[in-house]
This record gives sequence, C-alpha cells and structure tokens, in this order.
Amino acid sequence: MSIIELKNISHSYGNKVVLQNLSLNIEANRMTCLLGGSGSGKTTILRLIAGLETPQSGQISIEGELVTQSQKIIKPPHMRKLGFIFQDLALWPHFTVYKNIAFGLKERKEKDVKDRVYKILGFFGLQDEAEKFPHQLSGGQQQLVAISRSLILDPKILLMDEPLANLDVKLKRKILEHIKNLKQNFDLTIVYVTHDHKEAFAIADKIVVLNEGKIEQTGSVQQIQNSENEFVKYFIEF
Amino acid sequence: MGRKLIEHPFYAIIYGSFVLFIVFPIVYTLGTTFFDGSSLAGNILLLDKDIFLLLVKSCIIAFCIAMLSTIFGTSLGFLLYKTDFPFRSFFKIALLIPLFISPYILAVAWKDFIYVFFNNTDLISSSIGVILVLSFIYTPLSMIITGSGLSNINSHLEEMGLLTTGLRSVVFKIMLPLMKPALLSSFVLVFIFSISNFSVPAFFGVKLFTTEIFIQFSAFYNHSLAILQSAFLVVICLLLLYADRKHLADASFLSIGGKGTSIRKYSLGKGLWLGWFGASFWFLISVIFPFIILFIQSFRGGASKFIQAFDLLKSTFSDSILLAFSGAIITTIVGFTAAYFSETKNRNFFNWLLLFVFAVPSVIFGISLIKFYNHPGLDMIYASYTIILIGYTGKFSFISAKLTANAIKQIPYSLEEAAQIEGIGLYRRLRTIIFPLIMPALFASVVINFIFCLGELGTTIMVYPPGTEIMPIKVFTIMANAPQSLVSSMSLIVFSVTLVVIISLAYFGKKFIRST
Repeated sequence: MSIIELKNISHSYGNKVVLQNLSLNIEANRMTCLLGGSGSGKTTILRLIAGLETPQSGQISIEGELVTQSQKIIKPPHMRKLGFIFQDLALWPHFTVYKNIAFGLKERKEKDVKDRVYKILGFFGLQDEAEKFPHQLSGGQQQLVAISRSLILDPKILLMDEPLANLDVKLKRKILEHIKNLKQNFDLTIVYVTHDHKEAFAIADKIVVLNEGKIEQTGSVQQIQNSENEFVKYFIEF
Repeated sequence: MGRKLIEHPFYAIIYGSFVLFIVFPIVYTLGTTFFDGSSLAGNILLLDKDIFLLLVKSCIIAFCIAMLSTIFGTSLGFLLYKTDFPFRSFFKIALLIPLFISPYILAVAWKDFIYVFFNNTDLISSSIGVILVLSFIYTPLSMIITGSGLSNINSHLEEMGLLTTGLRSVVFKIMLPLMKPALLSSFVLVFIFSISNFSVPAFFGVKLFTTEIFIQFSAFYNHSLAILQSAFLVVICLLLLYADRKHLADASFLSIGGKGTSIRKYSLGKGLWLGWFGASFWFLISVIFPFIILFIQSFRGGASKFIQAFDLLKSTFSDSILLAFSGAIITTIVGFTAAYFSETKNRNFFNWLLLFVFAVPSVIFGISLIKFYNHPGLDMIYASYTIILIGYTGKFSFISAKLTANAIKQIPYSLEEAAQIEGIGLYRRLRTIIFPLIMPALFASVVINFIFCLGELGTTIMVYPPGTEIMPIKVFTIMANAPQSLVSSMSLIVFSVTLVVIISLAYFGKKFIRST
C-alpha cells in the first residue's frame, strides 16, 4: 500500500529542469532508496515530499491526503508527520543535544518532554551527551542526535538525504546498522537518498534509479543488480 | 617583528605611515594630557556630576538609536534578503541612500518639515529629534549587517525548524539566535556612530557629550579637559568593540551556509501588501520626503535663494570631489593592506590600530591632529588639505579593512600557494590573483568611502585649514547665521550632488565590475 504518491511532478530551478513529469509511489513500512548521480533530482523529490519546495506542476499525497498541488502547499511541512535527516544534519548549533531533541516536543506543547528525550537518548546511547553542544560531539554521535531529533516526534515517514556522505567507512557501517533497525523499532517508512549503490544495496527494500529527473528503473535490490537497462548497468558498474 | 616587516616593504611603509601620521598624534595628545600633572589634576576636579549626567544622557540616546535602528534594520533586512518581495534589488540600494547623506542634511530636512507643518521647531530641536534623524540614517547600516547575517544562515537549519514548527517560532527561536553576532555588530556599530556624532546634536542645539567636548575646545580653548572628557567616549567605544569582537571570536555557533546550501526565501503570500507598505513607507520618509521638503523650502520665496546657495557652493564642488576621491583611494589601500596581512599572514595588530582610531570620536581625533601638527615645521601638513586627508584615512580605513577582509576570506589560500610554488612574488600575486578576485569589494570600498569622505564633518570641522573650499564645511559654517531657506537650498544641493554621485557610481560600478 502506498503511503506517499507523487503524480506527474515537474520541477525546475530557473531554466534548469530537475524533474520531468515524474510519478512515484512509496510503499508503507519499507525502505525505499532513491539512487542517482548529481543532478538526477533525488534530493528535490525529498524536499518536495517534505513541503520545503513546491513543484511547478503535479500533486503529492501522503496517506491518501493531498498535501501539495502544483505551486501550492496545502499542508505545511511541520504538519506532515515526517522526519528529515539532511546531509549536513542541520543540528541547531546554539542548542544543546537535549534542546535540539526537545525543541519540537516543546513547540507542540507535548507532555513528559524530559522523559521522552532521555528515553530516545538512551536508545542510542547518548544520555551522557545531553548537555553538550553539537560541535562537541563526534561525527557518529551527531548523526545519532539528528536521527533522535527526527524520531522524537513519532513520524510515520523518515526522509534521509545522503546521511552518511561525510562519514568514514567504519562509522558508515555502524550507522547503517542503526538505520536498518529503525524501520522495525519505530514502525517507519524510510525514503533514503544516496548516490552510492553499495549503500543502497545494503539497506533497501526497493530501489528507484533516477537519471536527469526521470525514473530509469524501479525494483528490488536483486532486480536492480540484474538490470538490463543500459544506464542502470553503467551506473552500478562504476 | 622588525625582520618580518622588512620582508614586505609595501606593508612596512603603509603600516609605518599610519602609525606615524595618525596613531602617534592621538597617543601624543592623550599622553601630554594625562601626563601633564598640573592640568590633569585641575581638570579632574572639573569633571563634576553634570559631566557624568551628560555622558549618561549621551549613552541613553545612543542606546535608543542603536535599538531602533537594529529593530527597523532587521525587519527591512528580513523583507529584502529573505523573502520573495518584488523589486527587492531596487530597495536594497534605494534604502541605503540616507546612510550616505551627511547627517546634518537630513537634520535640516526634518527641521524644515516640523517647521512647515507645526510652525514650531521645539519638538525636533531636542533629544527626540536627534534620535529620530540618526535612527533614519543608521537603519540602512543595520539593514546591511543583519541582512548579510540572515543570508549567511545555513538554510537547512531553518528548514529543519520548519519541519518541526511554524515560521514564527523558526524566526524567533532559530534564526534570530543564529544571527546574534550580526545583531550585536549592528547594535555596537550604530551605538558608536551615534555617541560620536557631532553634527546632528549641534544642529538641533542639543547638549551632548560630543558638543560639550567641542565647546571646551573651541569656546574655552581647554584642550586638555576636552581630551579628558573624550577619553570616556574612547573607552566606551573600545569596550563595546572589544566585546563585539570577543563575542564573535567565541561564537561556536556561527553558522555559515556551506556550498550547495542556498538562501531560503519565504513567500510573502498575503503579507505582500504589508511588505510593500513597509519598504515604500521607509523609502518615502527616509529619502523622498526629506528631498521634497528641502525642495519646497528652497523655492518657497522663488529661486533667488537657491541661486545664491549654488553660487556659494559651486566653488567647493571640484575640491570636495577631488579630496573625497583621494581619501577613498588612500583608505582603500590602507584598509586592504591591513586586511590582507591580517587574513593571510595573521598580523592583526595593524587591524587593531585601525579599530582603535575608528573608535576615537571624530572631534577628539580632530583635536589630536591639530595639537600634533600645529608645530613649526609641520605647516605643510597643518595648513594644507593633507591634514583633511589624514583625518579621512584615520576615520574610514577601518571600513575598507572590514569590506576587503570579507572578500579575502572567500579566496582559498591554496590559489596563492600554487602561484608561490611557481616562484611568483607577492606583488605579482596581488596584481594577477588577489586584486581581480576581490575587485568588487575594492570597488565597493572606494565608493562607500568616497561618499563618507564627501560628507565627513566631525573631524574636518576641527582641522580644516583657512580658505578651505569643501562642501560640508561651507554649509555648516554658513548654517548658523543664514536664513532657513538658504540653509535648505544648500542642503538640497549637497543632497542632490551626493545622490547623483551614488547613482553614477552604482551605474558605472556595475559596468566596471562586469568588465573585470
């Protein structure tokens, strides 16, 4: 069953066309990887789903509800029940780890903020770092704080934009394990953007290969690995 | 240190000249005042309660101006730098105009306005008038600083906030704290400019610390008391600048958008009309309105006063423009030298000296120059326009250093290192690599300092040699005894000349930068 539906989406930055009449369904409780090179439009898809940008044409629905209709945001980003992990993590540098995570809960005037924050910090082994500022943490810890911040608001969908791009190989493996477990532990649908096919093969249930704003192929890891599509074959070879 | 200086003779000459011609006179004047035991003891006794109350009053007024300018400047900065407001490029330039018009010209315009509508100038000839006029002048300064701060916020930090909460919370809880260094810089700079301003309180007849210093100097000839009083201002300004710099240095959370993160622009939507109203209203009251009022006042009784004013001022145009242009070139050379060696060779002391002289109130800087250069043998400086150029260099080199430092920071040092490996010397590297890359900043520095020099009054009024034919001096000296319509006419002419210069420089500047 689809939880996110993109229908006939076209988008451009100035004269540069980024997405051309693209339609895509994202299935619930699965890990979908958007795989493609620079300028393929994968990050734009994530930003459109989040409501951070509006497409020139087309529509987007989440859980059957229309959230964006060509050039108009119907449901603002903070009401879409989704989390977002940016490539640079976007941890607020003027907040401590605790405040970074608690901010959303406090804004929504939710109860038991402290208990909930410490619970999730405990889950990722970060309880001793609560009063530190982001710049005082290691790269891996920062990654986990960003994930914690997104999960604390109980999102149904987690959007991840190349979250491992700046990590070394060892740390990448460790964080990948955490991400794999998220789906089960938090009952999530994850949309994961990467340009690294190995990363996609390691975690995806379904892979969408993009090229210059169009979908080249959609399929399971095995289907992509055995693809006959020239572009896909070329892309995963290098 | 000596050997390092000799390694770069160009740096040594500029640095040495600045110390010799500008810093030394200030140190000499302060030294002779503080270490002249008898006059110091006598003058300390003269520092009574009234003087301190005057200092407090000056601080309160400067605080109000800094607060108002920062609030309005930040609002305009957000509108023009962070929204999809139409014609924002036009307003970004147009709203800067008051910053480049001499403060006393706007003071004349507002006094005229109150006179025309209320037939009484008591309301404006007060602290309120000083706050009003200087807030109009310094709001654009705040707008540039906070606008640039807003543009530098990593857009992902805002977007992460938008995914969590509404825009209002994002603005107040994420964006404003992240741009705290810019807000602080805006506040500190406006405070320093305001507390050091002489011409506006003098024109409105408001007794403040700067006017008191001027009176001690020019009416009672008590130089040492004037200097002693001004030491308070110097200390306040230096403390604030130090706090500002310290805060910037300690700000672990300075957030500069990395490559690939664009500036996030917000759609005004239904708030578009409010944006239009805000920007247009500010443009009207800070630019159009003073111009119209001066125009009406100038031609009220026919064109005779305007013609008289033009005759009085026409002899000043060439000298004023030539002096301002020379000042702009010299300040840019000095500012660039300090900035380049600070950014690339970590030599910061020259920068600190520029900051120190910038923090010295114009009046006291002028007194220092007079006391130092009014000696036999130094007549060729004291009795010529050279002393005015020295004044410009002291006051405005810091602005050039700030502008060019920001541009130099953007150039990866590896570009120079690559040339160094190929054996290319410093001067050729500067000419072929650095200058072309920072040309827009150098040009901006020349333009901005040209306009500042053209309107400078605080120091020039103290040091101008007899027979000086430059615009601000001529207007200000005639102002006191001339009929209001003549003052308005002269102000209108200065306003118009400055406007023409700004528009021409903006037009030719764009062409020049494109061609380079």
